[in-house]
Amino acid sequence: MAALIEARNLKKYFDSPKGMVHAVDDVSFKIEEGRTMGVVGESGCGKSTLGRTMIHLLESTGGNILFEGKDVTNAGGRDLKNLREKMQIIFQDPFSSLNPRMTIKGTIQEPLILSKRFKTKGELEDETDRIMNLVGIEERLRDSYPHELDGGRRQRVGIGRALALMPKFVVCDEPVSALDVSIQAQILNLLMDLQDQYGLTYMFVTHDLSVVRHISDDICVMYLGQLVETSPSKELFKNQLHPYSKALLSAIPSTDIHHKKERIILKGEITSPINPKPGCRFATRCPYVCDRCNSPQKLEEVLPDHYVSCCRVREINNL
Amino acid sequence: MEQNNTNQTPFLKVEDLVVEYTSEGQVIHAVNGVSFQLEKGRTLALVGETGAGKTSIAKSIMRILPDPPAKIKGGKIYLDEEDVLCISEAEMQKLRGQKVSMIFQDPMTALNPVKRVGDQIAEVIRQHNRVTKAEAFDRACEMLKTVGISEDRANEYPHQFSGGMKQRVVIAMALACSPELLLADEPTTALDVTIQAQVLEMINRLKAEFNTAMIMITHDLGVVAEVSDEVAVIYAGQVIEYGAVESIFDRPSHPYTQGLFGSLPDLGKDVDRLSPIYGLPPDPTNLPKGCSFQPRCPYATKECNMQPVKMKEIEKGHYSRCCKNNDLEVS
Repeated sequence: MAALIEARNLKKYFDSPKGMVHAVDDVSFKIEEGRTMGVVGESGCGKSTLGRTMIHLLESTGGNILFEGKDVTNAGGRDLKNLREKMQIIFQDPFSSLNPRMTIKGTIQEPLILSKRFKTKGELEDETDRIMNLVGIEERLRDSYPHELDGGRRQRVGIGRALALMPKFVVCDEPVSALDVSIQAQILNLLMDLQDQYGLTYMFVTHDLSVVRHISDDICVMYLGQLVETSPSKELFKNQLHPYSKALLSAIPSTDIHHKKERIILKGEITSPINPKPGCRFATRCPYVCDRCNSPQKLEEVLPDHYVSCCRVREINNL
Repeated sequence: MEQNNTNQTPFLKVEDLVVEYTSEGQVIHAVNGVSFQLEKGRTLALVGETGAGKTSIAKSIMRILPDPPAKIKGGKIYLDEEDVLCISEAEMQKLRGQKVSMIFQDPMTALNPVKRVGDQIAEVIRQHNRVTKAEAFDRACEMLKTVGISEDRANEYPHQFSGGMKQRVVIAMALACSPELLLADEPTTALDVTIQAQVLEMINRLKAEFNTAMIMITHDLGVVAEVSDEVAVIYAGQVIEYGAVESIFDRPSHPYTQGLFGSLPDLGKDVDRLSPIYGLPPDPTNLPKGCSFQPRCPYATKECNMQPVKMKEIEKGHYSRCCKNNDLEVS
C-alpha cells in the first residue's frame, strides 16, 4: 500500500535565548493508509513537536512532508485549509484543549460550520448528533460545558471534534495519559473501533509503551529529536537493537511479579537539545559508548524493515 | 511472607479512618473507614484511581490535611503505639521529617524555587538535630550523594535541575533524618520510565539500608509489582481488597481489581481488545448505600445495594469487600 503521509528529513528548530533547540532533527518515516504509527520517547524528545509539525500546526524548519503523494511542506491559503480537513489532532489534556466557554455541541459543530458542507440547520444538527453518538457522548450533555464533564467524556469530545470532518490522518498526542486506567481502556477501544470503521491512519504519540504496543502497527523510537529505531511493533517489542530502546523497554515496570526482568539502569543525565554536538545524542548515557559515537549516526536497515541508528548495533547484537 | 500478627503491636496502625471535605455546603466523603497496618521494613501500596482518597489517607498520617475544608471525622492512627491524632501540634512537628516523612507527587512544586537545594535539605536536618549550619549542610551534601547527585550541585537552585533530579532532591529531603515511615505519594508519576527505573531502584536500596516502612501511593500496577509487599486497593475512600502482592496479582478477587487488571494493556501479552470498567467512579458527595462499586459492577445484584459490604477474608491474609466473593472465586 502507498504511504498516506511521509516525512523526509524533517527538521524543526526553536530559537531560544540559549541557542537553537533541535526539537526534531532529520526525521524520516512513512505511514501507510489505515495503519497506526506509534511514536515513543521520553518527555522533551520532540515526539509532540513531530506530530504537530506533520499536520502543519508548526512550521517545519527543513525537510519535506508528503501527503497522498503530494509535497505539502509549504502549503498555504486554500490548500492548507483543505489539508486541515484531512489531518487532525487529538490533544493530550482534555482539560485545557476544550474552550471552557463553548458547549459540547458548539465545540463539535465548529469544524462542521467552518467547512460549509452543511446547507441547512437541520443537516448540521443531525450531523452533530451522529458524531456525538459515534464517540459515545450522551445526548443530554449537548448543552453542557466542558467543566461539567469528567476527563474521559471530555476526551471523547476532543475525539469527536477531531473526527467531525472525517479526516484521513489523525495525530493522537498522548490521548490517554491524563486519564485513569479504567477510562483509558474505554478511550483506546473507541479509537481502535473508529479506525476499523473509517480506515483512519493514526500517528500515536505517547510515552506509555504498553499502550503503544497495544495500538500500533509500527513504532518509531525517538531520542532527543532523532529517530533511533523504527520497525514493526511486534518486532520491536521482541527484538530491540538500539541501546536506548533496550533500556527504555527494560525500564517499564511489569505487572508480572513472578518473572522479574533484568533491568538496564541508565546512568547520567539527558544531554541538552540546545545546539547539540554532531555525534550520537544518547552517548552520554549509553553503556556501549566509544569514540565512533562522536560522529553523526545514520539510520540503517539492520534487519528487514528494522532500521536502527547506532554505529555499534551489529556488534552489540551479534548480527 | 506472612504478616506476623503476634501480640506485638504493629509499627503503623490505621483504624477506621474517616476524612470528609466540606465544599459549598456539600460534604465530600473522601475516606470512609480505612484500616490497615504496616511493619518496619515493609512496603504497602495504596492503589486506586484519581479521587479514590489515597492522598487524603497519607496526609492524615502526616496530619497535613488542609483544615478547613478537610476534617478527620473519626478513626485512630497509631505510630509506634502513639496516637498521632491526639498529640499536640508541637509534638507532631517533631515527628514530621524525623519519624515520618513524605515524598510529594510533583517535584516541580515541592521545592522552594528561591532557595538553594543544599540549604533546603539542611533545613530539615537542623529542624530535628542540634547541629551547626555547616554540619547540617555537610549532611545535606551527603544525602545528595546518596541519591546520586554530585555534591557540588548543592549550591544550585531547583530550576537548574531536571525533573528526575528534582524528584531525587525531594527524596533526599524526605530521607534526610532517616525516617522510620516514608509516605511516597506517586513519587515517579511525573518522571520518564528510564528515570523512574533509577528512582525506584534507589528507593528500594535506601529502604533496605534504613529498614524503613513505606506506604507507596500509585495508580501504576507495574510500580506496585516492583516495590510492594502488601497491596490495598482503594475505591471511593474504602479499602476494597487487601492482601500480599502475590495474592492480589495472581488472584484478584474484587470485580474492581479484576477490572483494573483487564483495563491494562500488558506488554507481555497480545490482546485485541481491552476490557474496560464501564461507567465512572461514584460521586463522593452522594455515595451508593451499599457497595460503592455496585453501579459499575458486571456482577451486581439487588443484594449489593442493600447495606454496606464488610471485608471478608477469602484466603489467609487476603481480604475482599464484595458480597459475591464465593461465587466469583469459581469463575
